[in-house]
Amino acid sequence: MKKVLAMILALAMVFALAACGGTTETEAPATDAPATEAPATEAPSTEAPATEAPAKVYNVCNLVNGNLGDKSFFDSCESGLEELEAAGRITYTTIEMGGTEEDQPTWLSTLYEVSESGEYDLIICGTYQMPDYLNEVAAEYPDQKYLIYDSEASQPNVVNINYKQNDMGYLVGVFAASMTTDTTLDMINEDAVIGFVGGVDSPVINDFLYGYILGAQSVNPDIKVDTRYTNDYVDTAIAKEYGLSMINDNNCDIIWGCAGNAGNGAVEAALETGKAWFIGVDSDQELTLSADLAAITLSSGLKNIGDSLVWFFDQWDAGEDLFGQNILLGIAEGGVGIVTDKNYATYASDETKAAVEAAQEAIVSGELTVPTAIGDESGALEELRDSVRP
Amino acid sequence: MLDFLSMVFTIDFFYSIFRITAPILFATLGAVVVEKAGISNIGLEGIMMSSALFGSLTAYWSGAWYVGVLVALAVGIVLGFVMGFFAFNLKTDIILTGIAMNMVGSGGMLFLVRVITNLTEGRAMASTTSLITANLQIPAVHIPLLEDIPILGPILSGHSVLTYLAFILVFLTWVMLYKTSLGLNIRSVGENPNAASSVGISVIRIKYIAIAFSGAMAGLGGAFMSMYYAMGWSQDMVAGRGFIALAAQAMGAGEPLGSMLAAMVFGFAQAFGIKVSAIGVDSNLVSPIPYVVTILGLVVFALVARRRAKHQHSAAALEKLASKA
Repeated sequence: MKKVLAMILALAMVFALAACGGTTETEAPATDAPATEAPATEAPSTEAPATEAPAKVYNVCNLVNGNLGDKSFFDSCESGLEELEAAGRITYTTIEMGGTEEDQPTWLSTLYEVSESGEYDLIICGTYQMPDYLNEVAAEYPDQKYLIYDSEASQPNVVNINYKQNDMGYLVGVFAASMTTDTTLDMINEDAVIGFVGGVDSPVINDFLYGYILGAQSVNPDIKVDTRYTNDYVDTAIAKEYGLSMINDNNCDIIWGCAGNAGNGAVEAALETGKAWFIGVDSDQELTLSADLAAITLSSGLKNIGDSLVWFFDQWDAGEDLFGQNILLGIAEGGVGIVTDKNYATYASDETKAAVEAAQEAIVSGELTVPTAIGDESGALEELRDSVRP
Repeated sequence: MLDFLSMVFTIDFFYSIFRITAPILFATLGAVVVEKAGISNIGLEGIMMSSALFGSLTAYWSGAWYVGVLVALAVGIVLGFVMGFFAFNLKTDIILTGIAMNMVGSGGMLFLVRVITNLTEGRAMASTTSLITANLQIPAVHIPLLEDIPILGPILSGHSVLTYLAFILVFLTWVMLYKTSLGLNIRSVGENPNAASSVGISVIRIKYIAIAFSGAMAGLGGAFMSMYYAMGWSQDMVAGRGFIALAAQAMGAGEPLGSMLAAMVFGFAQAFGIKVSAIGVDSNLVSPIPYVVTILGLVVFALVARRRAKHQHSAAALEKLASKA
């Protein structure tokens, strides 16, 4: 009995040690970084008049509520800042706060710390996990400027950057509809049927879908879109069942998965049947899926966090005051897009590429506006969705 | 209508019933045995999630699926013992222990996966999907002869090793419960622990065996989830199957065969829902189908049980009258 207790205590200590090891590792750069960056912050203030740089060089703090290397939002954000720094427009410090439950308390304290220091012109953070912390801190430091991406805070000194899923969906729809009749490609059947696996029948997910259907119809007015909702963002297995049913029952050969982790069930269904391709969402999923799954991922709809930051600094330099606003970025601003290298470059025909580019140009030039499902009570989407069912 | 039926009741529909049922069936068998010993293990869900993670991780490290399955099994047994230690030795409430286990399975595994693999994702939750390739998946078995039979062949052949194991285990569990002394001990401990201990059975030992067995079953269910059903672990991927198993156990009156049929009813309902969504039925109507079926099943079961009790009651009364006369 005592021995068992001792064992459990020992185990608990090992876990505690492991946990400590993890956090010290991730915090190490955080404590080092400001020290090395400190001289850099002084440099621009003295150099600025000498070099006659018209625009201010901003000192930016990038708070990552996770770790870099996610091949997703955080890396995209970092690359945008790198680009801005290389152009001499900003200097920046990235603090990796870690993403575990245990790290969460440090998110708030880190936010307070960097706000208190007052040395940053802008503090950047993102994702759905941050608004509560940001609202609290931003209210305490009304003179400090903040930016949050892919989420929304409610303070006048915070600029909220979000992304037009409908624009992204339109491009993916154009791409998928062009591919689904390209029978020269392996696994593509003759039927013009494409699939969509959504998380929940809700405005945000339907915004992806709205663009997807309209984009697909712009290529082929008779296209069929099989829409399924998993009613769940975590049950990969049920998403796989839906995927299998779409492929086997309705001859879907391209499926777009928009259901968080569960969406991966669709690509697993495609792999198992060997009869369909997959399109990812939000970040370049070819990079994050395992080799087998990445091989059948044609492309991904993207939220370009990095490009959206560049866009923001363009506006800021131009004297736009965007703070306190909710900004929706679409294709025109580079906020959303589609992955065009790797499998896309290999498998898409020239006509397909031309169609996607044409759609992109039409939206950028303002010729074409993609309607949104958010705040739309008319039921137009539901009608459209039912009309294109296979 | 005929169109609809031929569209729904296809070969892959019946095939998918087995696939959907298998993970639930594993947990159901665990629930059956542990309930026979008089313990309610509601932590099956959490054990499944934990085993799912360790199974997929060790499969990745070792490069062999069977190592992953064995580790998932071992993790299930260990967690069963841990639950038992708290519930039987430290006298915590078994229901609360089960809730704690479910929290460990959800949040604890998310924590562990980040500590162990450093996998993080910007927006979505962490998963090990990036690690698992198709050759680390539990392989499917094509049964020689059987697969050549039309209709029945493609339905029954080609399932994963674990799917067959789940159905074989139904029989083995029945044998264990009713044909071995261990089974007798488990049942007697469940029905009357005092009587059992008076004849020299170590009640606590039997309880440990029962809860470890349930852990082992949940462990196999977890391995099925992360190593066959889905590729890799992701948070909360078990998505309530551990609880469905408890319902199946109750619906099956706690007997292995009955509970298996109940689990298959659930699998049938789930598969039916997916087929129905193919013809455009609203998703908000489709996803509750398995749960509605479960509730209906419980109602039917309760009615049958009540009628049977009434019959027995009146039969006994008649006998009494007869003996008096």
